[in-house]
Amino acid sequence: MGKIADAMAALDKDKLLAEVKAEIEVHRDPLEIVEEARKGLEYVGSEFEKGKYFLMELMWASQIFKDAMELIGPEIKKKHGISEAKGRILMGTVKGDIHDLGKSIVRDLLTAAGYEVVDLGVDVAPEAFVEKITSFQPQVLGLSALLTAAVSQASVTVEDLKKAGLRDKLKVIMGGGVVGEIKVSEFGVDFATTNANEGIRVMEKWIAEAKG
Amino acid sequence: MAESMNSYERLELAWNLKEADRVPVAPVNCYIFPWLGGINMREMFLEPDKLIDATIKARELLGGGDNVDPNITTLNHLGMFGRAGWDQATLDWRIWDDFPPKGNLPSLYEKQMITDYDDVMKRGFAPILYSKNVSNQLFKRSIDDFLYYEYEYPKIYAAAWKEYVEKYEVPLLMGGRACHPLDMLQYYRGISTLTRDVFERPDKVIEISEWWIEYETTLAMRDAMIMGAGEVPGSEIIFFINGGPPGMSPRIFDKIFWPIAKKMIDVFVKRGFKVHCHWDNDLTPHLDTMSHMADGLPKGKIMLDLEKTDMKKAKEKLGDKVAIFGNVPSSILVYGTPNEVDKYCKKLIEDCAPGGGYVLSTECETPWDSKPENVKAICDAAKKYGQYRR
Repeated sequence: MGKIADAMAALDKDKLLAEVKAEIEVHRDPLEIVEEARKGLEYVGSEFEKGKYFLMELMWASQIFKDAMELIGPEIKKKHGISEAKGRILMGTVKGDIHDLGKSIVRDLLTAAGYEVVDLGVDVAPEAFVEKITSFQPQVLGLSALLTAAVSQASVTVEDLKKAGLRDKLKVIMGGGVVGEIKVSEFGVDFATTNANEGIRVMEKWIAEAKG
Repeated sequence: MAESMNSYERLELAWNLKEADRVPVAPVNCYIFPWLGGINMREMFLEPDKLIDATIKARELLGGGDNVDPNITTLNHLGMFGRAGWDQATLDWRIWDDFPPKGNLPSLYEKQMITDYDDVMKRGFAPILYSKNVSNQLFKRSIDDFLYYEYEYPKIYAAAWKEYVEKYEVPLLMGGRACHPLDMLQYYRGISTLTRDVFERPDKVIEISEWWIEYETTLAMRDAMIMGAGEVPGSEIIFFINGGPPGMSPRIFDKIFWPIAKKMIDVFVKRGFKVHCHWDNDLTPHLDTMSHMADGLPKGKIMLDLEKTDMKKAKEKLGDKVAIFGNVPSSILVYGTPNEVDKYCKKLIEDCAPGGGYVLSTECETPWDSKPENVKAICDAAKKYGQYRR
């Protein structure tokens, strides 16, 4: 895969940052450096889905990717200006729930993968989602819920989207520890998962299909 | 139909990996009791008689169960030092007059209250507990208030539960509760920061965890003593919580989590207590390591309460060493039907009950918004499918 991707895949932060610095010093195109690091990150994601890496390792991977981006980001701006995002995704934890972790992992991994992600935070009211969708126009809305009591808020949000005429303009995915046993159709969402990487794959597929 | 054993006898046999008259059943009913009993959080915390009345009403509605959760969290919240800050950090005082709570119970804030591990090990938790970073509301409490709830109220609370246990012959789920240091650190550091610590300076995480053992175990055993350990059935049990961090790899589990967990279990058992390990997340990849849970300890002292772990595999790997407890999913209790609960329980009993050593229960705790008929279906299923002797 290359030294950067290998270091990323091995979750070796020191080696990753050393390799990134070395490549920057020899004036390698920073977009190439990012792509190689992303390949390593994708490898971590695929190993996570196979059960070979675990959630803490996935979180660590997104953290060291961010560390690497702190070195690479300024170089990209210098050489290419602002690069275009692969797609737009809006996220938030539904009203009545303040759990942040799962959503933040997915947000960081999506950002690392090159998507523009707006995270509305936790305990987000349906009307706040509607308002932001109108201005941000995401292709995907990601709803997070960990409390059983909050899961039903997803359907309230979806109903509000319908009333605002926005439901057909985007896909809706729900994630969280308790959504694994729910029936997707009952909550009006397009997909539900407890697995961060599976959710990311589904969102990437949706956005790729929308682009044709 | 009258049953041939009382709840304590039934649970005792399960602890000792033996068959009773039937499979014991013990949904972890905590916040659902005040909800169904019609009291608010303030009453639940400050008026034990009202909490016990609510418990009696709710148990009738939910079909009973072989033990009752005395909600030791209450004592931990109100005491001078809380549970090393965890409760002060997670309890939002604004919810006291509300039920249902507005999303804040019991939830996790990503805060970073510990910034320097060495400072904590040198000066203890008090500087953190009395920090405005933990709770501005904390400063509204007077020193008299703290002292009363630290030294006097626990005795009143324990006496109320003792009276209940004696009158209704239902043992307590626990007498004290302790958390694994990694569970605490996810509140003190935030999970993201703790993850960074685990990878960047694991030795420091181990060092503070070791430091924490005596602090945490002593507080838990003190509460259990106040609740009547050795005298009030069930209060000799320490509820040993691990709510996180989620998704530890075997390397992290074996190097950091497990040695500390085993030391804490050993402390409790060697000092005469039983340990109810209430361990969340999916721990299936760690069952081989966990199979050493009871090494060096007398039989009948450990109950393993699992959330998302594969129960059948847990029974296969650990069933001859420790009792198993769990794990009807919360989502079925809230969104499912009694029939779905019944099927789930039947499968759990088939997988885990043969030979004894199994208690049918919920995963983590019964959500307060569970359908009562679904919780009742758990108790019904134990009687329907869990008979050992006919």
